[in-house]
Amino acid sequence: MRVEYINPFVEAAFNVLKEVLQADIRRGELYLKSTTMPVLGVAALVGLAGDVEGRVMFDMSKTTALAVASAMNGEQLSNFDELVKATITELANMITAQAVTKLHDLGFRFDLTPPALFTGDNMEVSDHEVEALIVPMETPQGKIEINVAIRERV
Amino acid sequence: MKTKQDFPSINEREPEGLKPDGTPYRVLVVDDSMFVAKQINQILTSEGYEVVATAGDGEEAVEKYKELFPNIDLVTMDITMPKMDGITALEHIMNFDKNAKVIMISALGKQDLVKKSLLLGAKNYIVKPLDRKKVLERVAQVLKKE
Amino acid sequence: MSEQELQVQENKNGGEVKQERILKIDFKMVTFSLAGKDYGIDIMNVKEIAKANRFTYVPNTAAFVRGVYNLRGEIIPVIDFRIFFHLPAEQKEEDAMENLLIIRKDEQIYGIIVDSIDKVVGVSSEQIQPPHPIFGDINIRYIKGVVEHQGRLYIILDVNRIFAQEEERKRTSIEAEGMPLYTPPVMEGASPARGENREGPNQAVPLEVNFIKETLFALKHFATTAINEKWVLARYEEWKKERQTSDAVQLKDLDDAEAFLKPFYSPYTDQFWGDDYAAAVRSLLPDMPGKTITVWNPGCGKGFETFSFACILRERYPEHRIKIWASDSDLLAISSAPTMAFEYEVFPEYCRPFLVKGKYGYGFNQVIKDAILFEYHDIRNNNPYVDLDIIVARDILSFMSPEEQSKILSDFDEKLKASGLLLIGSHEELPAEEWQFIGKAPVALYSKAK
Repeated sequence: MRVEYINPFVEAAFNVLKEVLQADIRRGELYLKSTTMPVLGVAALVGLAGDVEGRVMFDMSKTTALAVASAMNGEQLSNFDELVKATITELANMITAQAVTKLHDLGFRFDLTPPALFTGDNMEVSDHEVEALIVPMETPQGKIEINVAIRERV
Repeated sequence: MKTKQDFPSINEREPEGLKPDGTPYRVLVVDDSMFVAKQINQILTSEGYEVVATAGDGEEAVEKYKELFPNIDLVTMDITMPKMDGITALEHIMNFDKNAKVIMISALGKQDLVKKSLLLGAKNYIVKPLDRKKVLERVAQVLKKE
Repeated sequence: MSEQELQVQENKNGGEVKQERILKIDFKMVTFSLAGKDYGIDIMNVKEIAKANRFTYVPNTAAFVRGVYNLRGEIIPVIDFRIFFHLPAEQKEEDAMENLLIIRKDEQIYGIIVDSIDKVVGVSSEQIQPPHPIFGDINIRYIKGVVEHQGRLYIILDVNRIFAQEEERKRTSIEAEGMPLYTPPVMEGASPARGENREGPNQAVPLEVNFIKETLFALKHFATTAINEKWVLARYEEWKKERQTSDAVQLKDLDDAEAFLKPFYSPYTDQFWGDDYAAAVRSLLPDMPGKTITVWNPGCGKGFETFSFACILRERYPEHRIKIWASDSDLLAISSAPTMAFEYEVFPEYCRPFLVKGKYGYGFNQVIKDAILFEYHDIRNNNPYVDLDIIVARDILSFMSPEEQSKILSDFDEKLKASGLLLIGSHEELPAEEWQFIGKAPVALYSKAK
């Protein structure tokens, strides 16, 4: 992934999470992964197009998703219902959109597609072995892994 | 000695959502996310605004506006939606009612989208995540201008 | 009054009289099994546990010495307890992982192979009974005691007696005679690159070199294979002369390993290529067909190599469009690459036509910058680069494991056009069956063999 793309995603994740969760957010060390299997249980996917092709995935456990949605809605949510899904989807949308906005300011043209949410135990998603950048974010509600797999449109 | 009763309620503020005649401003909320619609609804209702309808896409937004016209004071419009996006919907509404008051709400803060919507007639543009204070400020600002 | 009596007295005052003893846990041991029986060693003697399989065989030692092992840079002797105690042991496959207890006695560290390692068990020293000959298959002097815990009987071994200096020497001489000779697995040597004879140069190479190769891999992730073995062996001869006494030949720490590897690196590593090297590279570049030259530069680091090559190409092929994918898995290094800036004098002559003055010094102009895409990428993962004209991979292959080396090399082969070129490290070489050397020292340039 182009080095110029990295900071916008890292900053957007940090800024948005800090604002919507109103809490201390810590970023773990970035690393590269060769399979793009969601590991934690709930995955929100936002597609990217334009100068690049690919997608951003937000990976977290069900417990974290419920806790995050509860914090964002200002009420205790214990069922994984439409509201929780809509909230997590919106979170993914906001972070990706902010990153895209920053990239736009740097001169890169990205478009995003509407987000999709996937849940399940032992989920497997494989996009023909694309390399992904992992940005682990630690929140009081749990860990959220931001998984960016994009490549230049040749 | 003057008591509290002699002064009009200094510490109580009029809820911003009420018109001078005491009736609430009527708002149409347009967003495809249940979460965002709920959020905007909560923010506005807490200040006395009345959310008279919600639409989940651009098409529905235009329909509802035409239905409820002239009893709509304000529209909050999301940009990325299925079927018809917010910019197109804005265009239709402005063609229908050149005095329509529409505030764009989006996670994308790209300059060209902002410019485009303002040129088409939107009164203001708010970037998500939504901040309660900012939303209320902008809404009040738009409604005051006549 | 002992604890036990106290307990009995308290319970006498009504209620049931329980025979439980409140004992203090003051002895902890790591338990393991040998030939089906349970043993334990005082946890104070156990440094760590490990699973390992690559022991370098040491000839002319007792059968119970399986060899030596490189534990994060420290060479430790590895002893097979089953052989030591004449216990039956299952013959494992050559490469199978063994369970190791890492023991510390005084200043020396040993590795002990056991059948399986169980857990840490805490008991009261009061419960440990002295050994009775009937309990052990093992010579009684090595047994500290015996203890029962949760229905199992553990024989506690006395590490100090087992590894006492005198005992060892005595035992070694006694046991050396009449002990079945332990046959070592095939000796660890260099892995061959594709097509090369496995038995090749390995047999003549002394043991010492193997230690050095192991340490280079453990400390610097430098793998000796056909790609660089020639250099390693030559360097070893040199190194021996430098270090003279055999004790000092061993690579004891990171500093030693780095000193050994220092002459390996290609010229101008981590700097702009000097005018001499750049001119040499330029002179070897053939005419290129088509309108675009696509290059991949893995392991570009901070980007010096990439920019150097970009300037050379730009000047050599004025009519072509240049596109360079530069990648590295060191995020910190590559992050600063796109915007590097220095004082004018730092840049070599051939780069100067392509500079512009900026706020923080001189940097490369837009023409050069636009030609390069810096990517954070691990060469071991998939990437979308195809139909490449040139790959610049200096000193990259040598720092990959042998398996990775062959995978990456065949990847290179696939990704390059039929007329593609590969530039590797000055002390690296490629098998003649697949690659044709068209360079001139120190420029290691290859084309695909016909």
